Amino acid sequence: MATAIGGIGTSHAPTIGVAWDKGQQKEPMWVPLFEGYVPARRWLEDMKPDLFLIVYNDHVNRFFFDAYPTFALGVGAVHAQADEGWGKRPFGDIPGDPDFAWHLARSLVEDEFDPTICQEMSLDHGVLSFLPLLTDTDWKIPVVPLAVNVIQHPIPTARRLYRLGAALRHAIETYPKDKRIVVFGTGGLTHQLHGQNYGKHNEAWDQEFLDRLETDPAGLSELSIQDYMERGGTEGVEMIMWLAMRGALGGKVKRVHRNYTAPLTTGYGLLVLET
Amino acid sequence: MDQIVSGAYVFTGERSAKGFLLNKMANTLSVPENRARFGADEAGYMRAMGCSAAEIDLVCRRDWRGMMEYGASIYLLLKIGAAAGVALPEIGAHTAGMTLAEFHAKKGH
Repeated sequence: MATAIGGIGTSHAPTIGVAWDKGQQKEPMWVPLFEGYVPARRWLEDMKPDLFLIVYNDHVNRFFFDAYPTFALGVGAVHAQADEGWGKRPFGDIPGDPDFAWHLARSLVEDEFDPTICQEMSLDHGVLSFLPLLTDTDWKIPVVPLAVNVIQHPIPTARRLYRLGAALRHAIETYPKDKRIVVFGTGGLTHQLHGQNYGKHNEAWDQEFLDRLETDPAGLSELSIQDYMERGGTEGVEMIMWLAMRGALGGKVKRVHRNYTAPLTTGYGLLVLET
Repeated sequence: MDQIVSGAYVFTGERSAKGFLLNKMANTLSVPENRARFGADEAGYMRAMGCSAAEIDLVCRRDWRGMMEYGASIYLLLKIGAAAGVALPEIGAHTAGMTLAEFHAKKGH
């Protein structure tokens, strides 16, 4: 039987990828971010997961608005890297896990979540900005990506994401093969990429969110999309995806690691939870 | 839900429908060859993609704020920016009605 051995909440941003590619890990501005990932990377090495199930969002790189899915599941054996407009980054495609992914598809539909099933699912910085900070880029651990529309409104509610997490847990627990799975929720934390409050940053809300994700996820799931955008910015609404990770872990969790830094205009959060 | 939250347009279905052709053109810039064609002749490239004179004018004037008002998605402005050699801070500051220098001064960078 498969097990959700833990969860990781992490921000994603193109700038993290740019800094990593340029080798700026030791530059003072970036040290608090990159050093912050070291304990999470060590935890992964100790936990020896077989699979990453990543709830993330695509930034109009795999999908365009001609047909924009609310939920989309990557079931391919390999996921290509998307060109976001700056060219591809220096690493290869990412392995998938079709057997688990199709099981997940069946289980989610049975649970009344109905993702678009994608045999080709190119990945953008929603996955690839933080992944090299957590694992070697020869990508030994397969990734099953589950994309959520948090860009074109109407977007799913926070409560829907939290319930999605419970459905992920059910799917994991009913997978007949032994597999140690780490569930990721990624996005945010606060950032506002345009408009009169461009660059707005709300650390108080970010810290409250990190606290309550651990202890009061149900309460967080009752906040409206407008609440999330007012507090964390119209793009900061991405943080609702962390609730899917939290929902997949069940009631009580142990915090292994937490980090927060905001060198630019995005609150970069990292939270490692163990079941 | 409000149309403007946190001082910014919420990217609703209505905005997505209005900005569709501009966003669609920007989306083609994910392909390196298209970026090269766009770079060689922006207006001609956009015309061939079905953009209107008003849309072409907004892009050629680098009126990022105007593009957002028109119905662009911020993520597609970033693709136009990548093809035109303009990064997020300059785009974001412009949508806030500031120059990049004014934005940095405000943030104390």
